Amino acid sequence: MDWDQFDLNPRTVAALKKADIKSIKEILNFSEADLQRLMKLSSADTQCLLKTVSRTLRKNSMLTALQLHQDKDHLTSQHQKLSLGCSVLDNLLRGGIPLVGITELAGESSAGKTQISLQLCLCVQYPYKYGGLESGAVYICTEDAFPSKRLQQLIDQQQKLRADVPAEIIQKIKFGNSIFVEHAADLDTFHRCITKRLSLLLARGMVRLVVIDSIAALFRCEFGVSESVMKARYLQTFGAQLHSLSTRFRTPIMCINQVWHQNCCLFCNKWLEGDVGNRVAPALGMTWANQLLMRLMASRVSWPGQASGVAPHCAGSMRTLRVVFAPHLPPSFCYYTIQLEGVKGIK
Amino acid sequence: MQREVGSLPLAPGLRARLAAAGFQTAQELLETGPCGLSKEIGISKEEALEALQLVRQECHGDAARTAGGLGTTRKFTALELLEEEQAQGFIITFCSALDTMLGGGVQLTKITEICGAPGVGKTQLCMQLAVDVQIPECFGGVAGEAVFIDTEGSFMVDRVVDIAAACVHHCQLIAEAQQEEDHLKALETFSLESILSHIYYFRCRDYIELLAQVYLLPEFLSEHSKVRLVVIDGIAFPFRHDFEDLSLRTRLLNGLAQQLIIIANDHKAAVVLTNQMTTRIGQSQSTLVPALGESWGHAATVRLIFHWDNSQRLATLYKSPSQKEATIPYHITPHGFRDVQPPAVTPNAQGTEMNPRKRPRREEEKQ
Repeated sequence: MDWDQFDLNPRTVAALKKADIKSIKEILNFSEADLQRLMKLSSADTQCLLKTVSRTLRKNSMLTALQLHQDKDHLTSQHQKLSLGCSVLDNLLRGGIPLVGITELAGESSAGKTQISLQLCLCVQYPYKYGGLESGAVYICTEDAFPSKRLQQLIDQQQKLRADVPAEIIQKIKFGNSIFVEHAADLDTFHRCITKRLSLLLARGMVRLVVIDSIAALFRCEFGVSESVMKARYLQTFGAQLHSLSTRFRTPIMCINQVWHQNCCLFCNKWLEGDVGNRVAPALGMTWANQLLMRLMASRVSWPGQASGVAPHCAGSMRTLRVVFAPHLPPSFCYYTIQLEGVKGIK
Repeated sequence: MQREVGSLPLAPGLRARLAAAGFQTAQELLETGPCGLSKEIGISKEEALEALQLVRQECHGDAARTAGGLGTTRKFTALELLEEEQAQGFIITFCSALDTMLGGGVQLTKITEICGAPGVGKTQLCMQLAVDVQIPECFGGVAGEAVFIDTEGSFMVDRVVDIAAACVHHCQLIAEAQQEEDHLKALETFSLESILSHIYYFRCRDYIELLAQVYLLPEFLSEHSKVRLVVIDGIAFPFRHDFEDLSLRTRLLNGLAQQLIIIANDHKAAVVLTNQMTTRIGQSQSTLVPALGESWGHAATVRLIFHWDNSQRLATLYKSPSQKEATIPYHITPHGFRDVQPPAVTPNAQGTEMNPRKRPRREEEKQ
């Protein structure tokens, strides 16, 4: 690092070189008192140094909320979201999945989580005008094999699902080519996948959606109750890495999570979820929940009484998508079914 | 900034050279920069830097003297402090139960920490406060501006728009009911756009950026002197991974806390931080405690813990120097942070809702 380019006193520059400090990050890693002791400078000089390097790191970083609100550029705007391919589901989420942050989709088995994720992998490939991001997706499988037959079915039926998109546009998209499937059954493989494969694909602009199916499977077998500290550390590291990738590349990360029944959850039941009627809680606890921007829960509707006002022949395969928490959405839900062409919401 | 070069406390020889080179005001000196200055008047770069540092200090000192003695030690009696504290503003939260529990609202010059599980409403309260700090004085607010430092990316401007619109609507209802001149005048400048334009948003992606931003805050607050609220949402997220050396984390957090205390005091601003909850594994059971450790618990003056009881959200005042520990229920509506039962909405009662220090008008008085 060339300290001479900064607006610094030559005394300070000499002290920096003598203390062998090579980067701004190193300087900020010291508290003010530690820095003073290390560099043997006066307190005024130390403060000046800290302010100067901070200024370099953070110039042009301020926005007003009005600018955020008025920004309509699809490359930077908060209003840009990833559509789910169905207007009812998009309305529930006020546009779709936010582009920056980790969204979790939790639920029991066969609630429809994989179906929704596959649908997202296809939606992301549409043009911006139709709610997509004009790019591909990475699907990281941690448990089962990737459902390629079902994906092919969905691809064949896209025109039926997306009646709002002209046929020529759908025909031009080569859906299968832009979905990258990775398998990672243990923590080390997963770590390598995120740090190497994912960064590469994102940096090249080839993908703008990451689906992890499922995050809970990575942690179930390997950790007993006594290793909870280790498990928490892994969760925090993965969460931070995914969050950082999502922020750098403006790419939504969709994590599928499983649930466990509440009487198995050892502690914190009443602090985790605010819903009395729910007998299940998402796995991985508070540590993982702290990494999330938004949590959605998919569940099967188990008795017809719960779905009043809907045609009875739908009751068997009806499911609920619920917003558990999100900074911009109230707790709400909607019903959906899984058809041949994909997931469709019911008004 | 417009001070004449001749009046600056520089060495006479230096002043003469500056005058000969044609510099007249301090502003011109600062704009030229050290390299340009050393070339123009033929002094070494080190001397130029020292001279400019002196000039900057003088100019800040001038601004400070007019603002009331920033950084100089002052002596007070306890009575003066009491009076000052009672005159201190509060930022109301629109949830009267919470405001009462806090003694009027979120207090200026103090650090308030909000801890809670994900989804319980911490970011919602922060967004509400960023809007409420801007309420004009005639409606019971502090007419300030807000700085919002976001480390998690959870600041969704759509939600702030909803909250701000509801706040403006509320003030309009009061103005209609009370028909006072200054209310209507204040409403002319209190609109959705003006509220959004006075929330200054910073996005920090890791703890280094957060530390750098806090080092720059005093300067920013001096330039934007109407800022009365600094929100950091959340303080725990960047510090909870990436730290092999926990004692370094403690040192950095302590430094951060000290700087925030100074900022809160010097600029008469409220600092609001949000924190996560973590599980502390005890002998026989585990409890949820605020994250970042025991020593961080001393940083905040007031600590609120938000939690659930079945499906009711509750706020507990966990630490406060002057208020009693208590727990109250609250609600998050499409309009923002609210009470569970809205207080009786009659035209007379609406005025008291906004200004908790006004005595509520009672029916007996009208008779």
